[in-house]
Amino acid sequence: MRLSIDADRCMGHGRCYSMAEGLLSDDEEGFVAERGRVIEVPAELLADAREAAAACPEGAIALLDSASAADA
Amino acid sequence: MTQTRRGCPVSHTEYGEDSELYGHYALIDAEREASRFHFNDTRPRGFWMVQRYEDVLEGFQKHDVWTTSARSALNPESGIALLPQDLNGQDHAKLRRVLNPFFSPAAVKRTESLAHERCVELIEEVRPKGRCDFVAEFAIRYPTDLFLALLGLPVSDGDFFLPWSETLFQGFFGGDPAETAEAKRKILEYFDTAVNERRAAPRDPKTDMVSRLIEARIDGEPLTQDDILTICMTLMLAGLDTTRSALGYMFTHLATHEDDRRGIIDRPERVPAAVEEFLRLYPLVFQAGREVHEDTDFHGVPLAKGDVVWLGIASANRDPRKYPDPDRFVLGREGVNQNLAFGAGPHRCLGMHLARLELAVVLREWHARIPDYRVEPGVRLTERGGQLTMPTLPLEWEV
Ligand code: SF4
Repeated sequence: MRLSIDADRCMGHGRCYSMAEGLLSDDEEGFVAERGRVIEVPAELLADAREAAAACPEGAIALLDSASAADA
Repeated sequence: MTQTRRGCPVSHTEYGEDSELYGHYALIDAEREASRFHFNDTRPRGFWMVQRYEDVLEGFQKHDVWTTSARSALNPESGIALLPQDLNGQDHAKLRRVLNPFFSPAAVKRTESLAHERCVELIEEVRPKGRCDFVAEFAIRYPTDLFLALLGLPVSDGDFFLPWSETLFQGFFGGDPAETAEAKRKILEYFDTAVNERRAAPRDPKTDMVSRLIEARIDGEPLTQDDILTICMTLMLAGLDTTRSALGYMFTHLATHEDDRRGIIDRPERVPAAVEEFLRLYPLVFQAGREVHEDTDFHGVPLAKGDVVWLGIASANRDPRKYPDPDRFVLGREGVNQNLAFGAGPHRCLGMHLARLELAVVLREWHARIPDYRVEPGVRLTERGGQLTMPTLPLEWEV
């Protein structure tokens, strides 16, 4: 599973990295440091990734199923 | 006969007046469920009420055509400049980049020990008395002291500072213009002195906000003195009344809901989740305004350039379509992090991380010292309209 953060949508609410500290981090302006990137989610952090995606008020985070992404 | 305006039901509900505690939330709930949109005609310009979660969020994100030229639907011409709030687009983004680092989670962490210290001092001051007006003796002093400290100013200035900020605040919702102007003048004069002192003796711009504002450059230009003063005043207006109000609602709830209070006393690690649920349940900034800058159709409502829109924050946070059983306090509720208490889009509240920290510190420290308390019997609790706050909250406990 991969997780993508839309840089244009991210407004720096900081809910995602507060939910998923092992996966995401904040930059000095309070935005998620990984914005604009697609990151691979280790199996043990899947639950965190789901929580992070669900916590974002701007809907900036999407979870991509690696398998179906490859098929497309 | 039901009136409509451009196809919307017309509402005459007045949101600026004082009411029984929770009176405004009841009005908001009723209107949201009566119709998806309303046109409210209680103000000279009137405003379109956007009320459901999905619509309010979308409204905040339409910042390119719905601008902050009107910040409050109730008083679109407040006559008080706020920065960075009044800016839109790139100008707004550039100033936010200067200020954001001071309010990032990392920066806020540096304030934690100060918040903790001040909070404990204030609690210890009231604890032996066995009672206090929680609003006047604690909830407003705490954020005022922290604000002054954050700006590098003496905490003792809070005593004369507070009445000015109160008067100025009333100006947003139609208070006496002459008094408002006078309070504004005094505050600006106070900040002017402070800023000039820093110009003469700058401190580390990484930790001292005023020094940072002085050295900051936007497109190669320094900020003007006027803009710096406006920024200081905005931070004050944004941080004091809001924190005081949030604390009032939280402590009323906890004083009257034994189980919820026990939950926090027994498991302090639940505090951050409790703060979030309180922000959802009691958003004191219950609406934000926007001015429409382009004729648009918003889900069937034809909006014209110059129209005022009400973005119903409290309405969204208590929308049963988003949060089932919305009037209940539920720890760990699904989607609670998406609540709109701090707005959304690029103008989201700059101080949201600081606010969360301040509130969490109080919940922890107060309950560690005064776990059991109640509202003094026989007191009738009320709330101020416009931007919700409790004028007083008398609490008592055993000593
Ligand atoms: S929660 Fe959303 S808006 Fe906030 S920092 Fe994370 S991605 Fe950005």
